[in-house]
Amino acid sequence: MTFRLTCPVCGKRDVYEFTFGGQERGPRPAQEGLSAEEHFRWVQFRLIPGGCETREEGASRADVREPLQEEWWYHGQGCGVWFTTTRDPMTNREVEGGGGG
Amino acid sequence: MADAGRLPEGRLPPGPTCRVDFSRPLAFTFLGRPMTGFAGDTVASALYAAGVRVFSRSLKYHRPRGLYSMDGESSNTFMAIDGVPNECAETTALRAGMSVAAQNVRGDPRTDRFAFIDRFDRLMPAGFYYRLFHRPYRLWPLFQNGLRRMAGTGVLDPRRNYHRDGVRAERHLNAEVAVVGGGAAGMSAALAAAESGLRVCLFERRPWLGGHLAWRVRDFEGEPLHHRAGALAARVRATGNVRVFTSSPVTGVWGDNLVTGFTIGARDDPFRECHWECRAGTVVVASGCMDRPLVFNHNDRPGVMQAGTAWRLARMYAVRPGGAAVFSVGDDMSLEAAVDLADLGVEVRGVADAREAGRQDPGLVASLAERDIPVLSGWAASRAMGRRRVKACELRPLRGGGSRRFRCDLLVANGGMQPRIGVLATVKAKLAYCADTHSYQPEELPEGVFVAGSMTGLRDPRSIEASGRLAGHRAAVSCRGGAATTAVDAASAVRRDAGSAADGLPGPVSGCDIRHGPALGRGAKAFVDLDEDGTYKNVVESAAQGFDVPELAKRFGGFGLGPGQYRVTGQNLAMIMADLRGDPVETATPTTVRPPLVPPSLATLAGPGHDVHKRTPLHGELAGWGAVFRRAGEWERARYFSEDHSCRDEILNVRRNVGILDSSPLGKFRIHGPDALKALQRVYVSDMREARPGRCKYSAMCNDMGQLVDDGLVVGEGDHDYYFTTSSGRAGSTVEWFRYHTRHDGWDYNLVNLTDVLGSVNVAGPNARRVLERVTTDDVSNEAFPYLGCRHITVGDGVGARCLRLGFVGELSFELHVPSSYCRYVWALLVEAGADFGIQPFGLEAQYCLRAEKGHVIIGAESEARVTLTDIGMGWLWDREDTVSKKVGAPALRACENQPGRMKLVGFRVDERSGSLRDGAVVVGRAERGVGGMAGDGEIAGYVCTTRRSDVLGWQYGMALVHEGVAVHGGRLLIRQEELPGRPESCTATVVPPPFYDPEGTKLRS
Repeated sequence: MTFRLTCPVCGKRDVYEFTFGGQERGPRPAQEGLSAEEHFRWVQFRLIPGGCETREEGASRADVREPLQEEWWYHGQGCGVWFTTTRDPMTNREVEGGGGG
Repeated sequence: MADAGRLPEGRLPPGPTCRVDFSRPLAFTFLGRPMTGFAGDTVASALYAAGVRVFSRSLKYHRPRGLYSMDGESSNTFMAIDGVPNECAETTALRAGMSVAAQNVRGDPRTDRFAFIDRFDRLMPAGFYYRLFHRPYRLWPLFQNGLRRMAGTGVLDPRRNYHRDGVRAERHLNAEVAVVGGGAAGMSAALAAAESGLRVCLFERRPWLGGHLAWRVRDFEGEPLHHRAGALAARVRATGNVRVFTSSPVTGVWGDNLVTGFTIGARDDPFRECHWECRAGTVVVASGCMDRPLVFNHNDRPGVMQAGTAWRLARMYAVRPGGAAVFSVGDDMSLEAAVDLADLGVEVRGVADAREAGRQDPGLVASLAERDIPVLSGWAASRAMGRRRVKACELRPLRGGGSRRFRCDLLVANGGMQPRIGVLATVKAKLAYCADTHSYQPEELPEGVFVAGSMTGLRDPRSIEASGRLAGHRAAVSCRGGAATTAVDAASAVRRDAGSAADGLPGPVSGCDIRHGPALGRGAKAFVDLDEDGTYKNVVESAAQGFDVPELAKRFGGFGLGPGQYRVTGQNLAMIMADLRGDPVETATPTTVRPPLVPPSLATLAGPGHDVHKRTPLHGELAGWGAVFRRAGEWERARYFSEDHSCRDEILNVRRNVGILDSSPLGKFRIHGPDALKALQRVYVSDMREARPGRCKYSAMCNDMGQLVDDGLVVGEGDHDYYFTTSSGRAGSTVEWFRYHTRHDGWDYNLVNLTDVLGSVNVAGPNARRVLERVTTDDVSNEAFPYLGCRHITVGDGVGARCLRLGFVGELSFELHVPSSYCRYVWALLVEAGADFGIQPFGLEAQYCLRAEKGHVIIGAESEARVTLTDIGMGWLWDREDTVSKKVGAPALRACENQPGRMKLVGFRVDERSGSLRDGAVVVGRAERGVGGMAGDGEIAGYVCTTRRSDVLGWQYGMALVHEGVAVHGGRLLIRQEELPGRPESCTATVVPPPFYDPEGTKLRS
């Protein structure tokens, strides 16, 4: 697997220069009143791009998520910036204008 | 040496396209027999010229196998060359002195002792290996060993050193447009793309450019075809922005148009084989065609070969492919080969063409008629005769009765041409069966990939070149970011619409859809796959068992698993399977193409053997003391200073006098900015407000699961300004870690990695202060510079050092952080000052033991993924009151804090002297006195992390991670260690709380 990513500082670079930082799943939840369940859900759970939000029966096509995901990358062998980009994991292609910066 | 005017044995007069130089003979041996080839020969062409027809024996049936292709399409000509097995004789250039041997044979391949196996094919149906030999189970090793001896290809000699001489290199090429294939289409594409000033790389697997035009002498538009190829090649080579790589097979094209492959070095190249990667903007694939094998009985007999093989033997290597030839083909190019071989003096006795009459090029049919060669349209070969090589063949009509026999020693057979789809498959183009050309064609191409040339079904040289130019232009335009212009798009009709394009060039030819020869019978000797001995009969058996799609048949019967992969087998297998299922041929899908498309040697992939590591500024000094260096992460570090790997003297010297340690790999960082403290509070588990100027704050970092990931010291430097250390192994990922865990916050801080900028020297032992007092005038007394203090001091002739007073090894200890360039000076200063106090360097192993005696934890040694900070007894670091900083790991620590059944880190003292207990021994539970000695409760309760015998303590201590049930102070552990299989040793130990040495900590505070 190989592709290129657009670093907001350095431009299009080989994916070998980057470290994957997982899906964007929002900021770290506040600790006050946070249950262990909620914490581990935030740490461990991932949504499958193109999969269903819910596994309940009768899930309609409307529940099927966008086959794109917003994700974090670290340009470790470059400028050292963490940034988000939107990518289609099926084709490994970045979506035009998906760079979150 | 060949005399002038006399041809060497087995050779034809060299023509204009000959690549062999008869004036430069090369001596080599085959099975010990001396032979002679010539410069320009491959091993296979030289052997064939010398009369060798049987090159090897087949995998399963030990059938004789001969030269089939010239491009390494099957394992027929895999040979042992100079003792190295599985070298492809077809593509390996002949060198003087080579020693060549056949594989999978006993002795000469002409007379193989296992040849009788061929008669027992009934006992070996498809999948027999899986189906027959698994019961009774205990006999399986017997079957396996027997089969392994008889089957298989090359043999490795375990006593032999297979190290390959010569330089392996690695290159990263830059190009906007990459062109795969150096035939007429590829060269035209490269020239067209280069017109716009882009950088172009052209990759050709053969040693020359030109593709099939390079050996064709037929006149076309007033000049021989090879002139046309030569002129194109000359233009390509003269174009400055086109780089040409010949002898350079492409191993695959990957996401975002990464082209990978390797170049086999010529005699004057500085490398022997070179791996390269080319990240191109766009790629033109023009990988051409190969003969589609014809499936008929005994189609694997030596003497049956591809049209391209016979033709190239004659035209490029001046080798006589045979005396009397018969053709059973399905393509005009093969008819041209028949005419050409007849002109070269090969007696062509008959040509069967699987296509119906009227579909051939009338000019070629007329040429054959002029030479009195009978052309049988709608006929094909039904069987080859002869035991070790072809002696005759039988042709039959595809519909209706009748047959004709011809005596011949060469049977050129194919079912037309098939495109080489490998590159398209690796780049994930969507391929579909095209009923017009009877081949796989791309239905949908990935972004920036273009196709050109004969692989699209084109045969007319002008069309091939036009399609190349078109693809080159489109690749250039697409590379520039724009869409292809309409003018260019209009010309794309060349590829699709026969004859209707603007310039009236011929379009793709309709192909040949023959599945197999006539009168096939069961097809027990009709081979679909040469490498794995997969016959038509095996395909039928697979389908009958329910494995009726190519992907399943591949697993069951092994079709396409061998070196030939999809190339020999793919399309035939898919078409035959579709027929057997009763589905239309359009549903035929080939098996997955596995990279590498052409195998490079492992040595080439491994590259030139870089050992990337760092050395500390004090490497030379340590070497001078006789240090034994070992790799520790990315660093080369001094592990021992003597051959005594228990490091007894090094340890005792630190405990009694003073030791000096090069701790430069320690991670060293500065963080400053208005939000620096917030960032520290986020990643460290303690209250970092306690990190004040002059005062070291020891703390740890956890991950979101509460596992310890790093520990170190943080010291205040000023307002919003901190200096901190991390463990050596963690230095590289600290910046990433800080920024990741603050990525949503937009905090304003700067983090600078000073690890390589600063070196550090640690002086530890009861005499440490006395040594330090000799090199500095600053007050380093216990009152002015207490334990865990941090001072900026001046040493020697004015070198400013950050000095930290630590206790990792459990003694009075000072660590001097100085700029790397001053390290050697400071080291020399300290060693000289310490001479009177018995200063000696100590290494990593001594430090490891010293800190273990003190009960200090090293991440990875005493902490692992199953335990949290609190489990290893460091929970006191965690600031549990802080809920606003959102400390990484805090929720997990809280959740696991009182969870039952967790593992805990305990210290232990081995009860009796037990010298053999080592790290990793298993704790099998609480030791209780039972019948016949000590017995555990049988459950594995944990393992020993670190254990050493201490000369200072006089007993063996250790730390173990055990289930909390046995982690009771004063409790006794039963520890087992399998020293030798079947001879377990066990010992008992008492749980004692660490630290074992100086539990009150008076030494480090002294």
